[in-house]
Amino acid sequence: MVLKVWLALFALLALTTTMAFVQLGSANLAIALAIAVAKAVLVLWFFMELKGSAGLTRAFAAAGFFWLLILIALTWADYSQRRDVRVPVTISSPRSP
Amino acid sequence: MSGPPPRNYFNATVGIRSWLLTTDHKRIALLYFASITFFFLVGGFAATLIRFELVTPGPTFASPDTYNRLFTMHGVIMVWFFLIPSIPTTMGNFMIPLMIGAKDLAFPRLNLASWYLFIAGGALTITSLLLGGIDTGWTFYEPYSTFYATGYVILAISGIFLSGFSSILTGLNFIVTVHKLRAPGMTWYRLPVFVWSTYTTSVILVLATPVLAMTLAMLLVERVFHVGIFSPALGGDPLLFQHMFWFYSHPAVYIMILPSMGLISEIIPVFSRNRLFGYHFVVWASIAIGVIGFLVWGHHMFVAGQALFASLAFSFLSYLVAVPSAIKVFNWIATLHNGWIRFSAPMLYAFGFIGLFTIGGLTGLFLAALAVDVHVTDTYFVVAHFHFIMVGGAVMGYFGGLHYWWPKISGRMYPEYWARFTAILAFFGFALTFTPQFIVGYLGMPRRYQSYPPEFQVWNVLSSAGASILAVAYALPVFYLGWSLLKGVRASPNPWNATGLEWDVPSPPPPENFERTPDVIRAPYQYEGGRALPQAKHV
Amino acid sequence: MSDRAASTEPGFQFADAAQAREVSTLGMWAFLATEVLFFGALIATYFNYRIWYGDELIAAAGHTKIVLGTINTAVLLTSSACMAMAVWSQESKARRAACLWLAATAALGLLFVAIKSYEYLLEYREHLVPALDFDGARYGGATELFFTWYFCATGLHALHLLIGIGFVLFAAIAIARDRLPDGLSIRILGLYWHFVDIVWIFLFPLIYLAGRNG
Repeated sequence: MVLKVWLALFALLALTTTMAFVQLGSANLAIALAIAVAKAVLVLWFFMELKGSAGLTRAFAAAGFFWLLILIALTWADYSQRRDVRVPVTISSPRSP
Repeated sequence: MSGPPPRNYFNATVGIRSWLLTTDHKRIALLYFASITFFFLVGGFAATLIRFELVTPGPTFASPDTYNRLFTMHGVIMVWFFLIPSIPTTMGNFMIPLMIGAKDLAFPRLNLASWYLFIAGGALTITSLLLGGIDTGWTFYEPYSTFYATGYVILAISGIFLSGFSSILTGLNFIVTVHKLRAPGMTWYRLPVFVWSTYTTSVILVLATPVLAMTLAMLLVERVFHVGIFSPALGGDPLLFQHMFWFYSHPAVYIMILPSMGLISEIIPVFSRNRLFGYHFVVWASIAIGVIGFLVWGHHMFVAGQALFASLAFSFLSYLVAVPSAIKVFNWIATLHNGWIRFSAPMLYAFGFIGLFTIGGLTGLFLAALAVDVHVTDTYFVVAHFHFIMVGGAVMGYFGGLHYWWPKISGRMYPEYWARFTAILAFFGFALTFTPQFIVGYLGMPRRYQSYPPEFQVWNVLSSAGASILAVAYALPVFYLGWSLLKGVRASPNPWNATGLEWDVPSPPPPENFERTPDVIRAPYQYEGGRALPQAKHV
Repeated sequence: MSDRAASTEPGFQFADAAQAREVSTLGMWAFLATEVLFFGALIATYFNYRIWYGDELIAAAGHTKIVLGTINTAVLLTSSACMAMAVWSQESKARRAACLWLAATAALGLLFVAIKSYEYLLEYREHLVPALDFDGARYGGATELFFTWYFCATGLHALHLLIGIGFVLFAAIAIARDRLPDGLSIRILGLYWHFVDIVWIFLFPLIYLAGRNG
């Protein structure tokens, strides 16, 4: 079983890297993230044994990701709607003291 | 009663090592109690100096720079080193295992580690204070705090970072404990509301604090390495700092208020001899506050340059979060109906909480309205709003809980008439301190300013007068509670005749809490004709 | 008659070993949830800057070393597979196999760190390290911001990985000597290791896969 999951993970890695070189505009990010989620789910379900775990354990596992989505979604509500005028960056960070 | 006291958690082992290396949740609670009392005094001292400075429109004794350092340290100490830990680490630590019928928390050694992290963090922050402090405000807004602030920002933030990990580990401990260590028969719906409230608080601690930790870490990276992440001159967005800071800091205010609300839910049934009205509503309202509280942080950024679309969303959600709080207030009041009310000190604090918290909460609605907020944000209106909730609410509840459980923790009764007097004095002192601040804020006095136009002076003088009364009300318990430890009447296991597993054990409890695992047979707050029905089967 | 152990014994607060095991599993998952939000703040930073900067940030990411990054991802995924085998061996009481799988896990972890260090060296030579002679004239736009983020994210990940390697090596040696402490569960250690892998699974596309076309 571990072998099968490992092969699946490798296949997904090959897929995601190849897809990066195909120009699909904004779909590139969506596809890359979808593949990342698939890999993560494989690791969570099989390697981290969520498959055989109690509902409570799965709830704990899901909670962090769900809450992160709240942070990303509500900040997206700001950044996607802003029409800022940015001053071009013309200076670089000062050298270390 | 005479003779040596029976074996309890306090006297079972002696010596400083048995305290500094203890894993007993009750001893750790006392370690925390001593620590947060110290921080309360430091933060309170800063507040005293602030109010003293504000008595005159111009400088009274401090320069503007010193004033900035005073309000920054007041905020930093009070938020992270007093309010956030206060109830969970003292009463949560002490009572939760008792209330669920457990012998200790799930991870006792982790509990001790939490305390050491807290002390380490506090030491760093106090050191930065002693070395001259910081003037960034407790909110550390960028790029001022990274590129322009002088002072010991790195030291102070490192201290907060460590105390953040302390609170994460405490929250983690409570969550696993409540899930897994409940005594047989203690179903979720038989848990006292204080346990539910502290559980919800723990979930917030675990999910929100890491974001603060990372945000502060990025701030440190910027300041130490002189790079830009949030600084506009280097391509960053200062608003992103604010988003992530407030993603934590708004839920943080619910960390500060939820345990206190839990205490009110404990106190009111006991001192009105009634079941808690609408137990399920109160429980789910607590959870709703915890969840919705994560969705409203942008209301701190209405005038910061946030997109209007986001501001609208946050404004709407902020109105929503008031609803569960209101539900709780209605249920507390309904509990009083046809009750047999005793105006003991815990009850007086609870009444004070309900009145002051309600005002604080309602003024939150004013601030949630975008149009109103444009005028009152960054004025004393906001300062008054959050002090009504934090001090009029959370701190009142803290003192109520402290008095309620004092017999259990110390084995002594406190002097009732001194305590009642103090509670009433605190209420009036508080009202005089912070009500004028609503007025002067609405009239336009900005916050975080050392000087103000002379027409605001009368309100500031009233406020400072109130603060001196409040200071007395906070000092008095130090004396009479201290006195009670030596001369107070020895407490019986259940001096209030309350329900709840913690009242089934001696006062103070033995180290292992329960001689045998309690067998829980009924819901909490069951009072029949004024008689308390204990939750566990008596052996 | 007391049905609980004395309060001085470890584990006294648990009714039995099964409860203790459930508690430690939940404790580790709760800790991992905090780590999701800890790293998550970095991820949110990335996403928001990606929306805000758009193509500039995507172009900045094009300076990362995709070949090394892909190899490293393969290394870490394999290390997770080894860790899963180690957990299975340990629970089947196959001591020698567990020890070897743990050693393999640690070795792959160290390989990851080595490759990452080499990457950092290359980036240093190309003047891509902010605050360390970053070439602002050559790399404009959001490149410096991106690389500040990049070093924070990969640095923090590497730190977590090193801590994991330390524990895994310790466990491997302890199992070899048949002196694994009661409090150290290979299964729980595995949860931590897999989590560090998952963090990388998400960092990989954000760091390496943007700005590769056109």
